[in-house]
Amino acid sequence: MNAPNQTFGNWRHILGSLTLAVLLEQLPWTGWVLALRPDFVLVGVLFWALHQPARIGFATAFFLGLLADFQDGAVFGQHAIAYVIGVYLVLFLRLRLLQFDPFRQAAQLFPILLAVQLTVLLVGWLAVNPPGGLTLLLPVLGSTVLWYLVAGFLRLWHGKGLQDRA
Amino acid sequence: MATPGQLMFARGLGPTARLLIWLLIGVGCVVLDTRYHALDGLRSGFSLLLQPVRETLRAPSDVAAELGGFFTRHRLLQKERDTLLAERARLMVNVNAARELLRENAELRSLLQLQTRPGQQVVHAARLYQGHDWFAQRITLDQGGGAGLRSGLPVVDAVGLVGQVTRVYPGSSEVTLVSSPQQLTPVFVERTGQRGLAAGSGQNRMELRYMPAQTDVRQGDRLLTSGIDRVYPAGIPVARVPRVTRSQSGPYLRVECLPLAGLDRSRAVLVLIAEPQVVTQ
Repeated sequence: MNAPNQTFGNWRHILGSLTLAVLLEQLPWTGWVLALRPDFVLVGVLFWALHQPARIGFATAFFLGLLADFQDGAVFGQHAIAYVIGVYLVLFLRLRLLQFDPFRQAAQLFPILLAVQLTVLLVGWLAVNPPGGLTLLLPVLGSTVLWYLVAGFLRLWHGKGLQDRA
Repeated sequence: MATPGQLMFARGLGPTARLLIWLLIGVGCVVLDTRYHALDGLRSGFSLLLQPVRETLRAPSDVAAELGGFFTRHRLLQKERDTLLAERARLMVNVNAARELLRENAELRSLLQLQTRPGQQVVHAARLYQGHDWFAQRITLDQGGGAGLRSGLPVVDAVGLVGQVTRVYPGSSEVTLVSSPQQLTPVFVERTGQRGLAAGSGQNRMELRYMPAQTDVRQGDRLLTSGIDRVYPAGIPVARVPRVTRSQSGPYLRVECLPLAGLDRSRAVLVLIAEPQVVTQ
């Protein structure tokens, strides 16, 4: 266990910081400040998911995401899904992130935050303009079959046979 | 590295499995909300929870505004008072004329046996919060179902149309701004009477759609609500036309509009509660 981890991160700190983040978002931001306003709650959740993954994880992220959805008057689930994905990415890169100094951590967090924002966009777009039909996904099946045929054909061509005898 | 995190060892489900479970729940939420509107209770719950918080957190900005007002120059106030007095005198003349017209109108209407127009009631509301959504521009007001608000009512400020009430909670309500994408407002050009449909295009802008290329729309025209939708009363200023461009490819003019109302500035708005006028022949 990293030494600094034990000094901060009890329940009081976690709840206090997350509550503060929620309160900050309730301020009546407008104009450019609103456009530039960081997503305090998301940053808080990702921070605690990094440092206290046993306590703050998917469930908290999901609930706070629902709260963010309410705030923006958006479709429920839009931010919730995005926050959950953000937490997953942080957990995935956790061991690496913990080694870094703050600057590199921020640089690593940038693509994660971008992914979260893009997920919000994608989910919202799908919810607002639901796709006409799932026939759009049929090429996936076709491509998979094609892959099987091509790979099988090449194996036969090289005389290895279809079964992997390794 | 003995245990740089318990996640090295699988306890229960791994992160990927948990991610998938939560994603499924999330997709369920989206479907429940968009298809079946089943989560309105949750919305009301959040609104009840956050309403007092927002009321409280509005205080700092109010104090800042008060302080800013306190240090206004004396000269400035005097000048403002003079212009207001002049404007009041001018308006009083208009009011007298309007009263005369109102009386005349009522007489004519009774003569023609038309229905009298229903009266209009206004509810004062203050902006409580502004959302930050990709797909709609909304603000939250501090008045809700308790004050008689319901979904669909028009919201105006001193200058023009702000938007339409779209969600109502007990103590607050959400207003979709006229500049919100996909928000349509039936309007007419004040100078010519040409009717049209103004659609929000986000970022505090609107555009007048489907205007054939020979239509007489010029720079500087004002757009007012036409009232044919029976949602908005007729004659509320909506937008100004800063530029008209002829598109090379399409058959329609490209008419940009700037909303007149202070969509992201005005802090106090009015909600108009009136039965839409019933057209009788």
